[in-house]
Amino acid sequence: MVKVFIDGAPIEVPAGSSALQACEAAGKEIPRFCYHERLSVAGNCRMCLVEVVNAPKPVASCGFPVGEGMQILTDTEKVRRARRAVMEFLLINHPLDCPICDQGGECDLQDQAYGYGSGVSRYEEEKRAVTDKNLGPLVKTVMTRCIQCTRCVRFCTEIAGTPELGAVSRGENLEITTYVEKALTSELSGNLIDICPVGALTSKPGAFQARPWELKKTDAIDVMDAVGTNIVMQVRGGEVKRIVPRVNDEVNEEWLSDKGRFSVDGLKHRRLDRPWVRVHGKRQAVSWQDAFVAVAKRLEGVAGDRIGAIAGDLCDAESMTALRDLMSALGSENIDCRQDGAIYDLSDRARYTFASGIVGIEDADALLIVGAVPRHDAPVLNARIRKRYLAAGRGGFPIGVIGAQPSDPTWGYEAVGDGPAALNGLLDGSNPFAAVLKAAKKPMIILGHGALTRKDASAIQSSVWKLAEEVGAVGPDWNGFNILHTAASRVAGLDLGFLPGKGGRSVAGMLKGGVEVLWLLGADEFPVGEIGPDTFVIYQGHHGDAAAARADVILPGAAYTEKSGTWVNTEGRVQQSFQAVFPPGEAREDWRILRAFSDVVGYRLPYDTIESLRARMASINPVFAGGVALAGTGQAAQGGEIDGAEPFRVPVQSYYLTNPISRASETMAECARVYGPVAAIAAE
Amino acid sequence: MAHFFFETMAGHVILMVLETLAVLVPLLLAVAYLTLMERKVMASMQMRRGPNVNGLFGVLQAFADAIKMITKETIIPSGANKFLFLFAPFLTFSLAMVAWAVIPTGNGLAVANINVGILYLLAISSLGVYGILIAGWASNSKYAFLGGLRSAAQMVSYEVSIGLVIVSVLLAVGSLNLNDIILAQQHVWFCVPMFPMFIVFFISALAETNRAPFDLPEGESELVAGFFVEYSSLSFGLFFLGEYANMILMSGMVSILFLGGWLPPLGIAPLTWIPGPLWLIAKILFCLFVFIWVRATFPRYRYDQLMRLGWKVFLPFSLLWMIGTAGFLLATGLLPQGMS
Amino acid sequence: MAGLDQTLRAFLLKEIVSGMASTLKMMFKPKVTLNYPYEKGPLSPRFRGEHALRRYPNGEERCIACKLCEATCPAEAITIESEPRDDGSRRTTRYDIDMTKCIYCGLCEEACPVDAIVEGPNYEFAVETREELMYDKEKLLANGDRWETVLARRLELDAPYR
Repeated sequence: MVKVFIDGAPIEVPAGSSALQACEAAGKEIPRFCYHERLSVAGNCRMCLVEVVNAPKPVASCGFPVGEGMQILTDTEKVRRARRAVMEFLLINHPLDCPICDQGGECDLQDQAYGYGSGVSRYEEEKRAVTDKNLGPLVKTVMTRCIQCTRCVRFCTEIAGTPELGAVSRGENLEITTYVEKALTSELSGNLIDICPVGALTSKPGAFQARPWELKKTDAIDVMDAVGTNIVMQVRGGEVKRIVPRVNDEVNEEWLSDKGRFSVDGLKHRRLDRPWVRVHGKRQAVSWQDAFVAVAKRLEGVAGDRIGAIAGDLCDAESMTALRDLMSALGSENIDCRQDGAIYDLSDRARYTFASGIVGIEDADALLIVGAVPRHDAPVLNARIRKRYLAAGRGGFPIGVIGAQPSDPTWGYEAVGDGPAALNGLLDGSNPFAAVLKAAKKPMIILGHGALTRKDASAIQSSVWKLAEEVGAVGPDWNGFNILHTAASRVAGLDLGFLPGKGGRSVAGMLKGGVEVLWLLGADEFPVGEIGPDTFVIYQGHHGDAAAARADVILPGAAYTEKSGTWVNTEGRVQQSFQAVFPPGEAREDWRILRAFSDVVGYRLPYDTIESLRARMASINPVFAGGVALAGTGQAAQGGEIDGAEPFRVPVQSYYLTNPISRASETMAECARVYGPVAAIAAE
Repeated sequence: MAHFFFETMAGHVILMVLETLAVLVPLLLAVAYLTLMERKVMASMQMRRGPNVNGLFGVLQAFADAIKMITKETIIPSGANKFLFLFAPFLTFSLAMVAWAVIPTGNGLAVANINVGILYLLAISSLGVYGILIAGWASNSKYAFLGGLRSAAQMVSYEVSIGLVIVSVLLAVGSLNLNDIILAQQHVWFCVPMFPMFIVFFISALAETNRAPFDLPEGESELVAGFFVEYSSLSFGLFFLGEYANMILMSGMVSILFLGGWLPPLGIAPLTWIPGPLWLIAKILFCLFVFIWVRATFPRYRYDQLMRLGWKVFLPFSLLWMIGTAGFLLATGLLPQGMS
Repeated sequence: MAGLDQTLRAFLLKEIVSGMASTLKMMFKPKVTLNYPYEKGPLSPRFRGEHALRRYPNGEERCIACKLCEATCPAEAITIESEPRDDGSRRTTRYDIDMTKCIYCGLCEEACPVDAIVEGPNYEFAVETREELMYDKEKLLANGDRWETVLARRLELDAPYR
């Protein structure tokens, strides 16, 4: 610790801190543009000038390391004059087009110009003008507004790992560009909009639609992947206008994937806004009561084991609880939340979650990825892997991969093999990467859905577990055995035991006529075509996607922005999200639909408020009330034969089109068109 | 012809109807134009022009107002007593009309030239308070109720001094017949010897008709519009007509009691050529002008001041004057015959 | 003596008579009424009447959908929705003023960076239904076109004081 004096007040800061960090610690706000706490220091905006006693001139505090006994003055006339001068220079070439700029109202330059700007300009020459760059369908550029802070360049290079942005020329002529005009390929490119301190980079799909002061903000959880990114939904006029990340250092730091940010427009299209019932092959719009009666009539006389329910990837824990209770009331054990047919080891919660936690990545010192594509499965989590990779320096964080990766996973890796057969090599030590894992103090293994959805998933899990035990990845103080989920609802489903009971059928068993009545809770990602022709399908969800087209009864539900719900991310972190807008038309919150329907079939679900429903969730698994989670909710993996010949596959689906919301989004469709199918290369 | 009208029953009835119409039609027209006159006089005292768009100088304004009022929706409050609510304006209006039966417009020229004319007038104007009380109560509204109470209290209070003033006049006349009262003023109008009583009577008449500065029952700032706050359309119109007819009636009483009725100011040649009814109309018009003039000049009284004036100033003063008059007449032997 | 004086004044109705004399005198003074529909009073160039959306001389609408008027409106009478136009410029798709809410404070005009929304000299826009007072963009632009010469002149006159 070093003792410094900020405006005369002593404060202790860690050695190596910058003067700016010391000032922040002392509660002094230092204006800045180029400095960003999660990026490297560039020191090129000069806005953060402070006075250091005995220094000949003001110093840029962001890049100035503190020394013992240093005296820093943040608010002297000299400092203010220096900052005013910097501001005047910045404004020389800034177009001052705030009225038509989307950043207006949340612009760092605007805010700081209030403090340090002069009312009049002394500049009479021609202003600089810069041609706008086309950075793809997500980020809009107005490069004349750029103040050349290079935050975007550093973000792309350091966080996103796609060094596509750079600066050409010098001084006044400096331009941020992609060298050769191309769309940004990062799945985190939306964060450039947040990180740009001026209006040079703004949202293209949301251009000119809302002002920050008009937006009502509601905290929520992103459901586009299983990371559970903390987000803020910003609403204007009953419509979610944009989604921005909320800082949570344990989950997403301050990043948000493009799918989570830009698929909002999908919430406006293809919505189910009233109940429908198929009568004589034709679908008819009906009232809620009629729809319920139609379902209840069909259920009459159907044995419990001929009824099934599948929960989709975007479901909240509340609705799954209600559906689970409804199904058991109807005498059915056929419930499943694993649309993709994944097989988990449910004997211990640590075996079906990302047990080390996302922050755990920063502690790990070797990583083996089995059948997962973090860049697409969880872009924000992938940024954490890259962060660890960069922090460790060359060779400091060896990453081994079994299976395919996109052409640029944003970190360097060693291809260990392309199929589960490589596991055997690691187990018997014949593969050199086994030694790397063994040498590591905190080795980490990430097991993805490329492996878990295979027929031999059980066997793969057993061998990976064995490997983890062998290399010391699982122990009393370090658990590096991690499952990377892709569905936001999955861990909650597993925690709640939304799984086939004794003699119950799984998803595959319910298809092809396995059940007579099938209740789909927002489930679209399974082979809908394989539902038996005589199966009566009830689709409860928010988007008219594949399953809704097959359904005999449609019950319109609420999307994640329209209900307050509980979500459990891949780490097993229970997070709550709040309602930002009301569901469209006659659509209702899902658990209320199930509660109302239970009345019609004569079994009343015992909860009328979301609080009592949450109490019920907590009674199933204490983790929902913040308690200690149940150790496991099902049986262990069975083991068995690994099908060594079959390599792990990368899902062919585009990153941008993985769920009903993103499929309904025009922006996501445009992204899928621009970026094409996932470019995958097989490992050697 | 004369035989038909004066000898047969049917003729009598037709004659009565014609006589009534001859009084009521000009009266109603007068009410209409009184409103216009009020607006015009008030306007000019406030340096404005007043209504001047409907017809020349706004002469058709009164009809425009009437048409507007009639075509409005009649609203009966849901909590109101329907019968009484509709009966009250009718009562007020008809009482204001009925009183005119005894007003002589020329020598002996009255619909009913009865010997108790002044008593009849007192009786009718006392009944007027019922219309207001009924309206205030039947509206089932607190404003109307309070307005009705105030109005009733005010009218009852000032009727006392009016009565005493009339008694003073009667002492000097010796008859209750209005025609006789006028004839008694042939030499000098009573407003000269009884000037203070003239003033007291006039001010009491203002209070009796709820006119400014005594228009407390409809004090806008505290009672919105007083007892007729719930009235609209024709029922409101009837109240309105009744009020203005009452004003004209009170002006008529002032003219008859103090200004010599249909008598010219001096019984000399050019003045006597003008017929008596015109003299009466001129005097009534003057009184009405003063009514309006007063309204344009003075702010509204406070309610306690109003009561103090009525009971503590006018009542003792007029009582004293009456005793004084009686004493004076007895002492000087000027007491009219048949009264000793 | 003073008491007697006061009593006499009261009994002789001095105040009442002098008051009435005063009103009577007024009756013969010249009238100040403005014969309204035929005569109108003078208007300041800053008079805040009916709103109008102006255009540039080349016909391009001035409004750039910055929403500052919407933000500043104390009565929240203005509603704006915006979108990029086909040529990529920032324009309103909806510009509504609820004239029944408007308090005619003129803050929208103050806030406008491009002199697009102005309060014109027109105060005679009474209508028969409330619906007609919900002005939309079309109506406001039509107002602007109708009053443009006057509006430009007013801004010119007021410019030295801004």
